[in-house]
Amino acid sequence: MIKKSTLILLMLFTVNSFSQTATADSPIATSIKNTPSVVVERGPYLQTGTPTSVIVKWRTDTATESVVNYGKELGSLTKNETSKVLTTEHEVALSGLTPNTKYYFNIGNATEVLSESVSGDMYVITAPTPGTDQFVRAWIIGDPGTANAFQRQVRDAYYNYVDTTATNTGKTDMMLFLGDNAYSTGTDEEYQSAFFDIYYEMFKKSVAWSCLGNHDAYSADSATQSGPYYDIFTFPKEAEAGGTPSGTEAYFSFDYANIHVISLDSHHTSRAIGDPMYNWALSDIQNTTQDWIVVLFHHPAYSKGSHDSDIEDRLIEMRENFMPMLEANGVDLVLNGHSHSYERSYFINGHQGLANTFSLEEITNGGNTVGATGKGDGKEDGDGVYQKDSAQPEGAVYITTGSAGHISGGDLNHQAMYISLNKLGSCVMEIEDDGNGGQNMVIKFIRETGEIEDYFTINKTGVTITDDANEPKAEVGAESKKVLYVAGHDLLTITMDRNERLKKVKIYNNIGKLVKKSRKKTIDVSKMPKGMYAIEITTKNGTYIESVTIE
Amino acid sequence: MFYKKGNMQNGIKKALFIVMFSLLSAQVFGHGDLTKRINEKTREISESPKDFRLYYERGLLYQQHIEYTKAQEDYLKSRSLGNTDKALQYRIAEVNYLAGDYNAALKSITSYLEVDGSSDVKAKKLEAQILFELGAYKKSLYAYRYVIDNMRDLRPEDILEYCDIILAENDKNQVAALDAIESGLKLLGPNTLSLQLRKLDLLKNSGQIEKALDQYNYFLLEYDRREFWYYKKAMYLAEINRPKEAIISLKLATGTIDRLDMKFKNMNAILKLKEQIKSLEAQL
Ligand SMILES: [Fe+2]
Repeated sequence: MIKKSTLILLMLFTVNSFSQTATADSPIATSIKNTPSVVVERGPYLQTGTPTSVIVKWRTDTATESVVNYGKELGSLTKNETSKVLTTEHEVALSGLTPNTKYYFNIGNATEVLSESVSGDMYVITAPTPGTDQFVRAWIIGDPGTANAFQRQVRDAYYNYVDTTATNTGKTDMMLFLGDNAYSTGTDEEYQSAFFDIYYEMFKKSVAWSCLGNHDAYSADSATQSGPYYDIFTFPKEAEAGGTPSGTEAYFSFDYANIHVISLDSHHTSRAIGDPMYNWALSDIQNTTQDWIVVLFHHPAYSKGSHDSDIEDRLIEMRENFMPMLEANGVDLVLNGHSHSYERSYFINGHQGLANTFSLEEITNGGNTVGATGKGDGKEDGDGVYQKDSAQPEGAVYITTGSAGHISGGDLNHQAMYISLNKLGSCVMEIEDDGNGGQNMVIKFIRETGEIEDYFTINKTGVTITDDANEPKAEVGAESKKVLYVAGHDLLTITMDRNERLKKVKIYNNIGKLVKKSRKKTIDVSKMPKGMYAIEITTKNGTYIESVTIE
Repeated sequence: MFYKKGNMQNGIKKALFIVMFSLLSAQVFGHGDLTKRINEKTREISESPKDFRLYYERGLLYQQHIEYTKAQEDYLKSRSLGNTDKALQYRIAEVNYLAGDYNAALKSITSYLEVDGSSDVKAKKLEAQILFELGAYKKSLYAYRYVIDNMRDLRPEDILEYCDIILAENDKNQVAALDAIESGLKLLGPNTLSLQLRKLDLLKNSGQIEKALDQYNYFLLEYDRREFWYYKKAMYLAEINRPKEAIISLKLATGTIDRLDMKFKNMNAILKLKEQIKSLEAQL
């Protein structure tokens, strides 16, 4: 045992050295109080962050109550959420929070605070309301779980980056894990050493999301949703954070600001077209109104690293089954791991073939790449950024980034890749205003040395300034256009040629139910609920149906 | 305060452990390449050919590699060397099932469940799946019911599989299948997409036209973007020969597309949908 005086000295030391860049190997808490009888062994960490809620989880060595104290000011955590159930696995949901707001918190039991940060490094910033255009930074970590020095170097390189970067210093809105978070078999013990003991500082201020990797799957069982992976993570099954309810934590989606993130299970769940995960992903992506769509799953659609997407079934199925659908619906960025290297594609669309069939010279069906800059490096100071706009909404970059814990080579010659590196690192995604009413999605690959060895930008126009004149002008029902309605007015007018005579008008609501009949050319719609209607107009000459939005 | 692991001595031990772990990691993490790992196990077996654990482990790798015969050989070898672990018995049943030898699979899972007192949900599920393949639908249903009632975290896939068994047992039994869906919605959340989709299929297949239309309306009202649902509803209306309502639904689809945010209007999925709307309109 260490003497108590030494212990206190050590504590003083750790309080001072405590910051985001601290790289100690063991979790260190920061309060200077009597040693509590209950020890926090894991966490706190944040799950399923939404604009108004977040889940705080932690583990204690003995069963005790769960208390989260929180508030907008560090010195005054006036609110609390409590569960009196005695447990070692604590899970407390904070709700009724204000969007885009920083809440400091600490955790404890009925009698004392068990973990806190006097320097204010334990907090949650609630997600912005969906659709908000603002700066967002996500840290992307693929196949990290080695618990070795490589993993720490990659982590420290990112910590250093985020603490020294010029804009939005210290801000990490989310962590996106790409699976294989704890080798070799994703056991609880391995998760402790390769996950919680490594990223504990970031976990208490940034919400962690993940998709299932094959190594997580050795211990986790998607069929029963049991095992460490499913115990550790609490993901939204009922679209609590936006998106479409999947009914399972194996695959889910969430919104953050104006980004829609879809996490798929490429390991256990059926990857067949028409099966539940496919149907869900299709409905989910076709229901989003967000500006950016990011998809993550473990097994890479394109890779010639330690895994080969030409010959391995999961990789082939994800590419051939899911990618045509996701691309046709506007996916911007695809994040995969599994191969322990960094492989980053050109700005591509509609390929889905074998590595050697990808060609920059291809011209049929629009080619394999998108736009004038799609064949280039995507760098602002190079061949030019990749471009997306309303006339050209397709194109995505695929990144296989599975070297956050180790590298394992491979041929690294996939032709869809602009660059392939057998190097350690993680990625950062930053979405920022482009100053012209659009936004840039900037991705950087940060080596374990801190060097940024690759970067690129996808620019999207018309994000922050959207086309307000969205109500269609004359083009609706171009063949006739007999309904005249001006937004905000009470009256809807039927117009027609002089030689036509109106017989009747029927109005159907947004689910096709008849809600109003009339024989007049001018109809009062002031009492009708806002929304879309179909107007059926019968004249002596025939019947016409048009749609109109009453607002 | 300190975490348990903040103790200094432990810290040193841990550092040593990490160093050793790092040294080992190079071999351990060469994952994914199953063939490589199988070869490695084979080498280990050649060094200690009496170790039943190694045969079991190689069997698992063979199973992942879809080499079921070899997997089975290894499992049986492991058993003959004295492996009495329950997990082995389960794998023997599983690999028989995967290889399509359902009678052998049933025999193994039955003896597994007898030893276990039949409380193992995963094994019960495998038993239900085997019975299903053998055409013993009633027994399969009975086993699957146990799974539904006892599984800690059900997935939508489980409910859908249960529905399949209900309909295999009696293809007229849409009522029971719909009941299963409803109970699934209660367990997994009222808007679980794949269950709501199956509900739609069941209503359509059993000719419950008005309820099926209500189900389309459910999707229309529940979802933010409706253009695809309007089209799907129109297709169904056309199918059941209600052309005017189909046209109304198509007009609403077109109206919705016209009002879509600019960024979606030229997406391939929307361009394709517009073509589909046009061609259906032309048929009506
Ligand atoms: Fe992997």
